[in-house]
Amino acid sequence: MKLTVKKPDILDVLSKVQGLAGRRTNLAITTNVLIRAEGSEIILTATDLETGFEGAYPAQVAREGAVAINAKKLFEIIREFPTDEISLNEIENQWIEIGNGNVEYHIMGMNPEEFPASPKVEEVAFIDVDSTALGRMIDQTVIVAGGGDDRRAHITGVLMEMLSDASGPIFRMVSTDGSRLTTVNHELPQGFVVPEGPGVIVPKKGLSEVGRFLENTGSVGIGFKSNNFIVKKANETIIVRLLEGEFPQYSDIIKKSENSVPVVLEKGLFLKTLRRMSILSSDNYKGVIFKFEPGLLEVRANNPELGESKENLPVEYNGETMEIAFNPRYFMETLTVVEGEKIRLNLVDADKPCLIEGENSQTFLCIIMPMRI
Amino acid sequence: MILHLDMDAFYAAVEQREHPELRGRCLIVGGSARRGVVTTASYEARRYGVRSAMPMFQALELCPGAIVMAPRMALYKEVSRRIMSILEEFSPLVEPVSIDEAYIDATGSERLFGPPAAMGAAIKARIRSEVHLTCSLGAAPVRFLAKIASEMQKPDGLTVIEPGAVPGVIAALPIRKVPGVGPRTLESLAALGVHCLGDVRRLPGALLERRLGKFGHRLAALAVGVDPTPVRPGAAAKSVSSEETLAADSTDRRLLGRCLLRHAEEVARHLRRNACRARTVTLKIKHADFRLANRSTTLSRPSQSSAVLFQAADHLLQAYVLEPPVRLIGLGASNLVRQDAAVQMDLFDAGGSDGDGWSRVDRVLDDIAGRYGAGVIRRASLADED
Repeated sequence: MKLTVKKPDILDVLSKVQGLAGRRTNLAITTNVLIRAEGSEIILTATDLETGFEGAYPAQVAREGAVAINAKKLFEIIREFPTDEISLNEIENQWIEIGNGNVEYHIMGMNPEEFPASPKVEEVAFIDVDSTALGRMIDQTVIVAGGGDDRRAHITGVLMEMLSDASGPIFRMVSTDGSRLTTVNHELPQGFVVPEGPGVIVPKKGLSEVGRFLENTGSVGIGFKSNNFIVKKANETIIVRLLEGEFPQYSDIIKKSENSVPVVLEKGLFLKTLRRMSILSSDNYKGVIFKFEPGLLEVRANNPELGESKENLPVEYNGETMEIAFNPRYFMETLTVVEGEKIRLNLVDADKPCLIEGENSQTFLCIIMPMRI
Repeated sequence: MILHLDMDAFYAAVEQREHPELRGRCLIVGGSARRGVVTTASYEARRYGVRSAMPMFQALELCPGAIVMAPRMALYKEVSRRIMSILEEFSPLVEPVSIDEAYIDATGSERLFGPPAAMGAAIKARIRSEVHLTCSLGAAPVRFLAKIASEMQKPDGLTVIEPGAVPGVIAALPIRKVPGVGPRTLESLAALGVHCLGDVRRLPGALLERRLGKFGHRLAALAVGVDPTPVRPGAAAKSVSSEETLAADSTDRRLLGRCLLRHAEEVARHLRRNACRARTVTLKIKHADFRLANRSTTLSRPSQSSAVLFQAADHLLQAYVLEPPVRLIGLGASNLVRQDAAVQMDLFDAGGSDGDGWSRVDRVLDDIAGRYGAGVIRRASLADED
């Protein structure tokens, strides 16, 4: 293999595959990036055996072939490289020269034949989705992450499903950690035929990787085929293997209770209050108490190990006075991803989930379970 | 001044108190029959060379006439609690370090109870009259010397190392008696010509640190009578566990399950007494080939319920391959959270309380056990055991 490539063409993608290549797997070669020279392209592949990435970039190919190089070292070399033109040349068996005549590296690669094959993705029915919108959906859902040792599919993965609601066909992502649940809807074009069957569960880790590759403009194709979730751009494809498992029935949870009372608050102020109140939370004492009164929210933290704090915040509320304990982190994380200046909480009582939405947003919904005092 | 209390042959002494006919006789408390090890030997048995942690068959060779009893931990724990509460009347700074051992910071208590010798005598008198047991007490200006002092006269001793006597005691203190000095350290120190703690003073600090690492630093401080370790009352436990060596190796899941239930009750009772809930439950198994295995699971919500802990551990047990047979089984609870802390509720099992109402059963059982002693009431599945 011998080719010349321009630094700006591959630097960004090499940075983005570091997450995949950096994850421990039971195959040593996945710390490598597979490089293939074909036609007038350099094709880069990286995988953590659950999520695979492949991208093609322009290159001047002098001799076709394939090599596998440690992804981290290759990235560092390219990042620090002084000139735009970089040549990669396999001098002999897996002995690779990277240089421009002045700067010169020789790197031992691994056998490219050992690199795990990417699943074949042919005849996929892709749906075009706005790239920014998909990125936002991913940000809004993967933030709801369970503990590291929880291996249940509905905690480690996000449910993706297509359904028809009042406004028409929608693509929905649902994420939960067992104590809270977020749903994000994306409208599909009118007339889109919603496929039969249940949704699928896509690992949050893989979804975060997908998020890295999404641009701020244009659209991407998403599709599902033989247990894979596929995201396709013009020159890049990411394939995430689906998780096996059942997602719990959540439709009752997101239904707004008839008894619920709304509270409207200023998002920015609320977030700052919560940050202040969570200073006094510790591993043992995570909860803060929200006391809702007409026109006022009092938030207080009481930690026998540290002390206590209290703050009042003006809110739009005219229900009865009630006290509910919550983990403030859940609210803070939700507030960072909900859109708009104001948010609305829908409360029932101290034992029932609290429903949060942007005041004018129809697409995002978060349900947070209180803490029992 | 810091006091160190060490009960004399605690388990054996408690049994002799409970069974007057055993007083003055060789008594060994320890693992069942010939498989186990000696937990505690009465002073009568110690005269024959019987020591703690000695295999039972060896102990019985030394002292063939000894009476062997299985330990009754619940009873000892009750007695221990009684003793600790007596100590707490003398100082707010009491740190139990084991079931029969505690440090007491007497600083500030002297106005109330007089000098350490008088306070020590008062503690001993209270324990003798209220618990009917003897103990050995040591008093010294620093913690490690208090422990050494309590060992100087046993049983039923009271030794005070006055501040003026500290240099002399340190100079003559055999290095192997210093807490933290094990066989390896002993060897390195012997190579340096150190036989008494006082000898350490002659060595440069850098050399000690090179040979012994961090411990060298501490040893140099101890050698000049400095021990910054404070007495920490109620240093909260990070985990609670209970285990037993079986009378015979077993693969009987029902029998093992019953053992787990007993240990779940023991552990859960401890959690409730200490106002804690555990997030993680661990099944501990030692196989007949002494291979140790731990299997842990995380509860969806922290619990202090006997039933919940048991179910979690039994679930682990049922999924575990019992090959080779099980020699020891136990249950541990860790990742403890305070009971007064708010508990995050679960979205998908709304309404369920801690252990489905078993918490009330637990409370009632605790009350009855508190009033009439552990063991007077138990689960039906454990009824045929004794």
